[in-house]
Amino acid sequence: MALDDLLAGFGDALTPGNLLFALLGVLLGTAVGVLPGIGPAMTVALLLPATYVLEPTSALIMFAGIYYGGMYGGSTTSILLNTPGESSSIMTALEGNKMAKAGRGSAALATAAIGSFVAGTIATLLLALVAPTVVDLAIGVTAADYFALAVIAFVAVATVLGSSPLRGLASLCLGLYLGLVGTDVLTGQERFTLGIPQLSDGIDVVVVAVALFAVGESLYVASRLRRGSVQVIDHKGNWMTREDFRRSWKPWLRGTAYGFPLGALPAGGAEIPTFLSYATERKLTKHPDEFGKGAIEGVAGPEAANNAAAAGVLVPLLTLGIPTSATAAIILAAFQGYGIQPGPTLLTTEGPLVWALIASLFIGNAMLLVLNLPLVGVWVRLLRIPRPYLYAGILAFASLGSFAVNADPLDLVLLMVLGLLGFVMRRYGWPVAPAVIGLILGPIAETNLRRALAISDGDLGVLVDTWFSRIVLLLALLVVVVPIVLRLVRGPRTTPAELQHADAKTDAGDRSTL
Amino acid sequence: MTTSGPPSGATASEPARGGAVSTSTPPPEARDEQQGRQIGELVLAVLLAALGVYLLIDAGAIAVPGSSNTVGPRFFPYAVGGLTLLTGAALALRVLRGDRGPADDSEDVDPDAPTDWRAVAVIAVAFLAHALLINVIGWPLAVALMFAAVAWALGAVGIVRPFLIGLALGCVVWIVFVKALNVALPGGTVLEFLTDWF
Repeated sequence: MALDDLLAGFGDALTPGNLLFALLGVLLGTAVGVLPGIGPAMTVALLLPATYVLEPTSALIMFAGIYYGGMYGGSTTSILLNTPGESSSIMTALEGNKMAKAGRGSAALATAAIGSFVAGTIATLLLALVAPTVVDLAIGVTAADYFALAVIAFVAVATVLGSSPLRGLASLCLGLYLGLVGTDVLTGQERFTLGIPQLSDGIDVVVVAVALFAVGESLYVASRLRRGSVQVIDHKGNWMTREDFRRSWKPWLRGTAYGFPLGALPAGGAEIPTFLSYATERKLTKHPDEFGKGAIEGVAGPEAANNAAAAGVLVPLLTLGIPTSATAAIILAAFQGYGIQPGPTLLTTEGPLVWALIASLFIGNAMLLVLNLPLVGVWVRLLRIPRPYLYAGILAFASLGSFAVNADPLDLVLLMVLGLLGFVMRRYGWPVAPAVIGLILGPIAETNLRRALAISDGDLGVLVDTWFSRIVLLLALLVVVVPIVLRLVRGPRTTPAELQHADAKTDAGDRSTL
Repeated sequence: MTTSGPPSGATASEPARGGAVSTSTPPPEARDEQQGRQIGELVLAVLLAALGVYLLIDAGAIAVPGSSNTVGPRFFPYAVGGLTLLTGAALALRVLRGDRGPADDSEDVDPDAPTDWRAVAVIAVAFLAHALLINVIGWPLAVALMFAAVAWALGAVGIVRPFLIGLALGCVVWIVFVKALNVALPGGTVLEFLTDWF
């Protein structure tokens, strides 16, 4: 059943025109994703307006390419630049960077590329197989269940991402507030619009995402720019040897096994699976002496986990309409921009569109493998762009993206105001992703909460009426309580750097299992 | 309809203020920078708590249609307001007790560099100016001016070269997005005249 749909999806995606859009998306996604300071979420947010003018199928196909391309570009950056980038690439950077410095950059990039391809293909296949089942289960899901799902997503992104749960919560509150601004859907009343007419439509997610990610990042970088010439490590040395393959294939598969399920759960996207994958490979390796000095397993595993999680995130997004990472939140906004509402009915109402999207994820993934190994020289040149021009260019595209939505200069003023907010958040260690998720998931949570309470006539007991909601809310509680207990019992959480340099005899590997 | 008195004003300017308060304590030495950071963090936490208070107060001003039942448009705002106030207060306490936010890593950030407030201010002003200029001189020229100012603030050499690069970027992007993708973007008199035949 799902296979037939998928084949039909390939039929839609494999037209010359759509292949061209897939190629364009993959190239743009990689090119923007490879730029330093730009993670996958920001890549997707910046390039979103480019897809608005296309008809939905082409737009989504291009979008699929941007999504995987952005993930891919990030890993190239973290291997070849000397500094950590976005959180899901940090684990790849730990060993990949060391490999590049030791003159094995080509092998590191190759294992990342092939690992991404393997993991992306398996995980996309799993997505195609799992999605219809989840939709069948989701038909019986009540409004209260949805509210419970939203709550666990809130809790997970606020407390799991970043090292300070309270700051994550603070960021989430800001997002929830921004989500409240505008006209209440159910009663048509204006809320917190300060009497500004443009605000009665609510604050655009693209504007907020671009402001917090792109503008905030640019201002933060400007405030303490690393001066002097840019250090890019040469991607020289031999390609993967037979020995490298032998050491890589198991980590690829194990990384996929971590990435897909954990990405599909509301557990904050790719951060935890990459962390777990690294810890596992470090434990299982036959070359423990190489870890911390450039072990290929430490690149292969986390990179596979990262890409598998990117596909896993699409499961709750497409079947339930629940975004569990900042990137997913922006994709949800993209769907809404095309006039499509993800949820259990999506596969029935927009079936061909969804299957074309899934098919183009396969296609984009294959294109990335073919393109990236030969094109790596181009990406390296992008890494060398002088920083003043790079950040000026990012701001120019931020302006384009936000202005193109409504052609209203006020959006750009709002962009800078929110960008300054993003700057102070970054400066004082508040994670930005929870704000984006709160903004888009807040209204979903509110609508379902009110629907549930309207049915029960205001009785709060309805929220724990089904086993589903009970279990989910209990899990949400555990996500809050368990880390606090663990910290009291075992001391602070292991950081990536500690994990890398930990002595084999300490219990760092154990502690890292969160 | 939903606006209330002073609290709303305080919230609207929150981000700007967060920056402004920290600016007023310029850090000439590392110790001052540390102290400035703690004050900044505290101000941010207090502003979050203030946002919570504003939400709680202003939520009471949301009109409730007579027909709506127990859970109207005020319920969720009250909940968010309460959560925001509690979080802000808890965070302020933690900061006072010496808890420090983790440094945010980025490829191009030097964690030990002193804060360059001038660059931040120049970029913010240049961006706002370009927002107001778009409908007057067109997007490509406005972006070129902004591009030059930002590049200059970030240490690019000269001003003519950044401007020309910005202008080339603006024109190319404008042609691609307006002529090929039909995005609505004012091009300015000259560029629109030159590409009229397209």
